Parts: sequence; structure tokens; C-alpha cells
Amino acid sequence: MDYIQEGFKEALKLLIGFDKEVYGIISLSLIVSTTATIIASFLCIPLGIHLGLKEFKGKRAFSRILYTFMSIPSVIVGLVVAILLSRRGPFGKFDLLYTPKAMIIAQTLLVTPLILGLTYSLSKNRGKEIERIGQTLGGNKLDIIILIIKELKLDLMVNIVTAFSRAISEVGAVMIVGGNIRNRTRVITTTISMMNSMGDYPMAIALGIVLLIISFGINSLIYSYSGDD
Amino acid sequence: MKRILALTLSILLIFTVLVGCTPKDEGQDVGEVEENVDSVEENDVVENGVEEETGGRIILATTTSTQDSGLLDYILPIFEEETGIEVDVIAVGTGKALQMGRDGDADILLVHAKESEEEFVAEGYGKVRKDVMYNDFILVGPKEDPLNLKENSPNDILEGLKTIAKNEYTFISRGDDSGTHKKELSIWKEAQIEPAGEWYLEAGSGMGDVLKITDEKQAYTISDRATYLSMRDTLDLDIIIEGDENLFNQYGIIPVNPEKFDDEVKERINEEGAERFMDWLLSPDTQLLIGEYGVEEYGMPLFVPNAKLD
Amino acid sequence: MEISIHNLKKYYGEKLVLDIEELKIKRGRITGLIGPNGSGKSTLLNIISGLDREFLGTVKYDGKLLDKDIYKKMTLVFQKPYLFRRKVYENIEYPLKVRGVNRDERRERVKNIMERLEIEGLKDKKGHLLSGGESQKVSLARALVFNPELLLLDEPTSNIDPESVKVMEREILRFNEETNGTVIIVTHNMEQSERLCHDIIHLER
Repeated sequence: MDYIQEGFKEALKLLIGFDKEVYGIISLSLIVSTTATIIASFLCIPLGIHLGLKEFKGKRAFSRILYTFMSIPSVIVGLVVAILLSRRGPFGKFDLLYTPKAMIIAQTLLVTPLILGLTYSLSKNRGKEIERIGQTLGGNKLDIIILIIKELKLDLMVNIVTAFSRAISEVGAVMIVGGNIRNRTRVITTTISMMNSMGDYPMAIALGIVLLIISFGINSLIYSYSGDD
Repeated sequence: MKRILALTLSILLIFTVLVGCTPKDEGQDVGEVEENVDSVEENDVVENGVEEETGGRIILATTTSTQDSGLLDYILPIFEEETGIEVDVIAVGTGKALQMGRDGDADILLVHAKESEEEFVAEGYGKVRKDVMYNDFILVGPKEDPLNLKENSPNDILEGLKTIAKNEYTFISRGDDSGTHKKELSIWKEAQIEPAGEWYLEAGSGMGDVLKITDEKQAYTISDRATYLSMRDTLDLDIIIEGDENLFNQYGIIPVNPEKFDDEVKERINEEGAERFMDWLLSPDTQLLIGEYGVEEYGMPLFVPNAKLD
Repeated sequence: MEISIHNLKKYYGEKLVLDIEELKIKRGRITGLIGPNGSGKSTLLNIISGLDREFLGTVKYDGKLLDKDIYKKMTLVFQKPYLFRRKVYENIEYPLKVRGVNRDERRERVKNIMERLEIEGLKDKKGHLLSGGESQKVSLARALVFNPELLLLDEPTSNIDPESVKVMEREILRFNEETNGTVIIVTHNMEQSERLCHDIIHLER
């Protein structure tokens, strides 16, 4: 049991002492996951709203497929991206594998179906009503999409944060396409996983604490925000 | 959040409905189903009987390189058939493997970091440590060998590493505290170089992953021969330096000492199974088997057995 | 605005829910739509408002088919009010904004209509946090603010307090008198239809 206590003590030392490596890992995690979430959001929110409102053939089948993809395992995304970016793969010439860019690509692909699916179902369930109001008040197509984004701002924020949480806590994809290279592509989750297999707990615990703080932080932010609205 | 919850629930619901349907359809003919129950129970009894005859299972903590090389897949089924003891292999870094031994989470260790192993036995966590076999490490790098190491120092790893460091050519280190990583660090030390800088990348991954990264980056790395040979066809990498004594790597087997733990943990350690596994591994027949592994596929053995018979 | 309906048929799947051979709704008058549940009152209102475009037959507005112009001249107030998650002021301002009315005029008109519906006090409250009566007055204000030529009301006063009902009825009448705007109202309440309506249309199931 001693090593757990020791681990916590050492972990606090690393955090309070602003250990350069630990904070480097944390900031790369934040940068990769935030970028991926932002890119996916810009693409998927307008598209999701549009698809949610629109009636088209095979909409039910589309929903089912989309919802399935929402829970796509991260290792599969990692594998696909690794195959595509590998030197022998179709995008090999860009030399992207084992770089932070590859990690952003993988995580973007990972959260794209999630944001699209969540936005789509939100728009399907609640967008219609807003669309009707917008129409009766004389808004055109663009007015209405803007109106829906503004009206569902809060839920969309929750969706974005959900996607971000998934991105920052996944290990499979970033491990495969990033390679967990020290000071380059090492993020919180891959470090924890590696430190565990090395039997070296302090840094793993320190990063575990940070990951928890990040998760709690954004979740309570969302709840306090939705609470006073 | 609510939305996700709702979604999860609805997925669960779908599953429940799907699963729920099956028994309903089958349940129509109750008499038949009941008849079947008897035979199922009989089967269970038979299976349990078999289980009792076996020697249970042992947990073998070993390094990723033994696992990746395929040696264990080759020899373990034979052991399991001979003794009825199942071997659960946990492939981790040497550091973690030793930690598992210290925590009483493994019954026996097969690792390759002699110093740490002897320390482990000295602390009382291992009963004995015996040589099993050795393999050797190699320096692999791009086929074109941009630093011409193959020409200048084909059997001198120290010279090779010095050249890499001097040219600051990309080198991928395991960086995961594994036996291979420790070995690599000891060779750098021997060469009196402290590897650091932009060119020295610590992957923190297993051998297979490190070889892939090395391939992608067309860099140099130190690998065990077994893993390299097993992946050779998928890599654009060649053996650059080999045969240096500094590159030899001894594997040892250590049964965990149950006496070191309190009763609760002690009970769970399969001492007898571990002993039998060690004896089997060191027996002449098995040693022969180890020496054969890889010859057919790669034209050379991956491991050289060197158990000493007392 | 005068509405003329010709050979209108509306199906939900196989089921015919609305079948009107000929119907005229006169300009500048308040017309009540009355009928039992399922007689298609709301469906008819949705069709006239342009929300529902999947029907057979023709609906003409002052002799023309629905176009963008006409679409911007009418509005519909739902039975269950939906206000935007923003201030009451911004809710009422919205139809003026999408019509490109300038800021000063918007302020003037919103202020005016809020006074009439006695909701100036709600100006800075969030729309989605209001009570039923308040919400419905705000949504009527949001409909009246741009002086539509055709005002469609789908049971606007069901389930709200009598005081609010009074204010709303007064303003509906006043709107009709002052601007000569056409009003079509679906209602279950016979007394209300007597108080408000010049013409009554009975829909049968």
C-alpha cells in the first residue's frame, strides 16, 4: 500500500513544482483535443442541424448508421488513420504519422460522428419547432439555421464538451498514430498507460489527477452555466 | 448529457428487445426445453470433472519481446498439453513484470535484466534465478544506411552509436523502462554518450511499435533480433550492426517466493505450477525446442538456449 | 388579405383529414374556425400559413399563389407558445429584424406593442422563463409587431388566465379595426367566437 501513498506524494510534487515534462504533456493533450473538437464542431454543427431538419429518403437508416458510428472504438479510428498516413499508405508523402497533426486528424475523425450525431438528434427533436416559429415570423433558410444554433446554444455546448471529453480521455487512437514519443506526441492518456506498464506510478497518478480535474472542471462549468439559464 | 443517456438507454432497450424475443420464440415448446436441461447439467458435471484433473493455471509475467517474437505461442501449448497447467501470459516491460512479482500478481517471471533480477531475488521476492536462453540485439536502420555504419563498423555497436550521436541522426529509443530499454541505455553508457536532444526520440512503446516508428521516420534503433525478424517483411529496415558482445541479452526465469507475502496473497500464488514450469523450461527437450524456434521461418534461431543443468 | 381555397384535400397516409371544395375568407374580417377535434382546423391553419405544403388543390392569397412576398406578410400564433431563449424585447424584435427594419424604428414599434399588451414590465426577462399567460401575450406581440396582413391564431387563449385573455382579445379586435388586417382564429370557446368573430366557419369531421 505504501507505493500508493508515495505515488500521490510524488504526484503532488510534480504538479506543484510545475514539472516541465508533465505540463508539456498536459498542454499537448489540451491542444490536440481542443483543435480536433473545434474542427469537428465547425463542420458538423451546421451540417447536423441541416440534416436534422431535412426530410430525405433513408433518414431512419441514416440515423441508425450515424448513431452506431458515434460509439466507434478509438483504436479502430487510430488503425484506419495509421494505415492511411503510413509511408506506404495513400497519404504517406505528407510524413504525418507519429506527429501531433496525425493525432489531431485521428481525434477529429473520432469525434466527428459524435458531434454530428448529437447535433442531428438535437435538431431532429427540437429544431423542427424552432424552424416552424422562424418560418411563421418570416425568416429565410439562413435566418432559421442561425436561429436554431442560437436557440440550442446551450445544448450544442454540452455536445461539444461531450466530444471534447471523449477526445481527451481516449487512448487508443493517439497511441497508435502518435506513437507516444517523449516531448513530441506524448499526451496524458498515453503517458498514464505507459507509466503503468513501466510500474512507475507517480507521474501516472499526477496526470490522472489532472485528467480528472479537467473532466470535472468542464462538466461543472456546463452545469453551472445551464443552471443559471 | 441527457441526450447521451437517452441514446444509451434506447440502445440498451433495443438490445433487451432483441434478446428478449429469442426465449419467447423458443419457450413455446416447454416440454422439450425441460428435457434439454437435464443433459446440459450432465455436461456441466463432466466439464467440471476435467477441470479438477488439471494443474490449474499460472500467471507468467514476461517482456513484450518474448511475446512479440512468437516463442511463447510456439512452446506453451506443448507445456499445457503435457501438464494440464494453463499459462496466462502477461507481456509487459521488465519494470512492470518485476513490480508484478513484488505485488504477488504473478507466479513466475521470464525477463531479461540481470541486475534487476538479482536484486529481486536478493530481496526475497524470487526463490531462485536461472538462465534460460539468450538472444542478441541488433542495430537496425534504413536500407540505404545513410551513415554508412555497416561499412565502417559492422560489429562495433559503440562506434556505431558514437557516429549516430555525432551526426545527430534520428534514433528511436524504447523509452519504456523495459529490459531492452535498459540494455540500450547500458550500451550508450558503455559508449560514454548521454543521448539527448532533438534527434533522440523516446517512444515509450513496445518493440513492435518502436520498429514501426523507426521505419516511418527512417531512423536507427536497437531491437532484439527476434522481433525484428518476425516483422522484417513489413519494414524498410536492415540489420546494420550485429555480433557485438555488448548486444547479447540473457533471459532468466524466477519463480515468485510465496513466503514473502501474507497468507491471503500466498494462497493465490501457484507455487507448484510455477516450479513445474521452470523445470520444464530448463529440461533438455524444451531447450532443444527453443533452439529450433525460428530456424524454419527465418533461417536462423531467434534464441540460443543456455540453461545449466545442476 | 383575402383567402380563397379550391378543391383542397389533405391526406395523412391513406387517411383523408381535410376536404374543402370551396372556401373564401374575406379581407379585413375576423373569421372563426370551429369544429370538433380531428376536423382539421389546425391542419387548415398550417396549410394557409405555408408551413404545410403537402396538399392537393389550391390556396390563393388575394388571387395569387403563395410566394416569398406573401409569406412575409402573414404569421401564425400557436396554441403552445414558443419563445426564444433570449429577452422578451429581442423576441418581439425578431420579425422586424428579419425584415430589415432599422434599429430606431424597431425600438419604437416594440415599445408600442408591449404597452398595448401590457407587458412592458417583462422587457428584460428571458422568454423561456415566463408563465403561460405572459408567454402567449409576448407571442401575440411578436406576431402583431410587424402589422401582418394576415394573422392566424391557433387556439391562442386556451389554458391561460382570464385577465390575459381579455387583453389579448382586446388587442386582436383593435388590430383588426386599426389596420384592417385579416384574422383567422381557431377556437373551442363559443363565447370567445361570439365576442371576436364576424364570420364563423364550421368544419365537420
